[in-house]
Amino acid sequence: MRPFRPFRPSRSWALALLLALSAAAHPVRAAGLVYVLNSGDATIQVLDAETRAERRRIPVLREVHHLSLTPDGRLLMVGDSGANEMLFIDPGTGEVLRREALSNPYHLGFSPDGQILTITSLRRDQVDIYRWTGEALELVKRLNMPDMPSHLAYSPDGKVVYVTLQGTGNIAAVSLETLEPLWSLDVGPEPAGIIWHNGRLLVGIMGSDHIAVIDPETRSVERTITIARGAHALFPAPNGGPIYVTSRVDSRITLLDPQTLAVTRSWKIPGGPDCISIDPQGRLWVTLRWQGRIGIVDPETGRMETQRVGRSPHGILYAGSGGAAGDRPAAPAP
Amino acid sequence: MLDALRDAWDGLNGWIFETLVQPALYAAGLMEWAEDAFDWINFALFGLLQVVIIYAVCRPLEAWQPVEPRADRRSIRTDILYTLLTRLGLLPLIAFVAFSSLGARLSGLVAESGWVPPTLETLFPILREWPLLALGVYIVVLDFGEYWRHRFQHMFGWWWALHAIHHAQRQMTFWTDDRNHILDDVIGAVWFGGIALLIGVPPGQFPIVVVVLRLAEAMSHANVRLSFGRVGERLLVSPRFHRLHHGVLGSGESGRNFAVLLPVWDWIFGTADFRRDVFPRTGDPDLPEEMATGGWLRQQAVGLRRMGAALFGRS
Repeated sequence: MRPFRPFRPSRSWALALLLALSAAAHPVRAAGLVYVLNSGDATIQVLDAETRAERRRIPVLREVHHLSLTPDGRLLMVGDSGANEMLFIDPGTGEVLRREALSNPYHLGFSPDGQILTITSLRRDQVDIYRWTGEALELVKRLNMPDMPSHLAYSPDGKVVYVTLQGTGNIAAVSLETLEPLWSLDVGPEPAGIIWHNGRLLVGIMGSDHIAVIDPETRSVERTITIARGAHALFPAPNGGPIYVTSRVDSRITLLDPQTLAVTRSWKIPGGPDCISIDPQGRLWVTLRWQGRIGIVDPETGRMETQRVGRSPHGILYAGSGGAAGDRPAAPAP
Repeated sequence: MLDALRDAWDGLNGWIFETLVQPALYAAGLMEWAEDAFDWINFALFGLLQVVIIYAVCRPLEAWQPVEPRADRRSIRTDILYTLLTRLGLLPLIAFVAFSSLGARLSGLVAESGWVPPTLETLFPILREWPLLALGVYIVVLDFGEYWRHRFQHMFGWWWALHAIHHAQRQMTFWTDDRNHILDDVIGAVWFGGIALLIGVPPGQFPIVVVVLRLAEAMSHANVRLSFGRVGERLLVSPRFHRLHHGVLGSGESGRNFAVLLPVWDWIFGTADFRRDVFPRTGDPDLPEEMATGGWLRQQAVGLRRMGAALFGRS
């Protein structure tokens, strides 16, 4: 008969137990991939969100700036503006599925019903409206616009798309029913990012230090909110969280209360913060345009870790491990 | 090591932009040019690096085995001024940025027709997967373009009037590479940038292509008794190969050895001279003296006057 031996955990048992407890303490982990568009060296970097190791580097032809998931989350569309090309990528793996010739895609975003994709062409002064069949894009209207159409946002009913015009300091409203411009409004120098929020349009005024709050009904600037110099783009956190606003001159991210739009906090983020994607832990993945880095910001403390990527990183997207559906950022295409 | 260098480079570029340039753009209401300005700083820094690399490579070679003594230091100083104006100046950048925008607008017009222009990679898909091969192809294509630009500089009277400034130098050193009329530089930048855009050189590779060609050009002007041997002379342009182009017999339409990087173009088009023992004196006695020894401004004025005369038929 074998003598009784009390249970003495080995080191490996202890390690396994520790890992299990650790996992239980952090039930939501940032698994998945992060896509970084390096506009200055013509690559898309695909990072493991957990380890931040580079999983893939996709060469593109010229300049990638912005990206958008398709409405079903199955495809990631990345515009290579200088190359006149749209890349269709499997967001779960980073595999390039196909490339399509398409005129100068700079910023892009799907309408709320997922039927329309609007693409701005910053350098060509054009706005293209495409019908999305679920598989393919069909150009339905090309509008010649005043100087430098930049970012875009939709009204919740999907009847109007609003485009910022950096060169003229306006926003333009375009009807998606008639496919014709409706009106334009002077909002301030070099407007960039734009979102729809609680019946208003919020516009980052890059040539100044504020956000313009626009009432689309009265077509007027209702008020301005001072942020920091070079106010650029806006990213609402999911589930009623704060609105994050990047400022490229003062290099800050400012947090706005989503109800009152009051400034609640402001973090110094060196390197020219530009686009933001938010992962399920609420962390902010930020492109630092002037330093060739991305920052990962803890939303509680504002503490940032940085990581080297390619030159002039612009668009960024966290895509969850099971495809991107469900983990999609709440903001329009970043 | 490379990552650390790149990090330091981007850090310096970013620091200059964030600290000095962007606030100035903001104050001047020019923020829509921020991204172009960021590229400009990179270009100017890159120009500085080119000068340092070229000096580090070429100066020891010239000291080691010069073809001729450095007798005319004033003339060399003029060439140094040319180099600094070109490498650190605005010209190449203006051309690339301006023609990048113009190219985009032209393709915007083309887009109206529904046709999207192809690039080199869309014509040869293998280049997508082999970036180094693509880089090699870009260099070969651009070098071919440079060969023909150089031929045209010697072929057309008005263009030769400008390019003659380059050939007037009797004290040729690696600094002579940039000794060009400003109008000639503009045409060259348009030519080079236009071809780069046409074949779709990615922005990240454009500076590498530029530095390869610039280093080759500077080296080929060096005052060094150096030949690359029977085979090497046919693969890469050597100081010997290019010095022959700068000899008296190389001037004007009857010139030889026009290639910048690859002598194969001269070989193919019957303009090569591979004699390895010939290191002629440089310069052209038919050109006005001020083109050889005048200051920068004087040379520019004379070049412009001669071009006008060539165009309007007055000598």
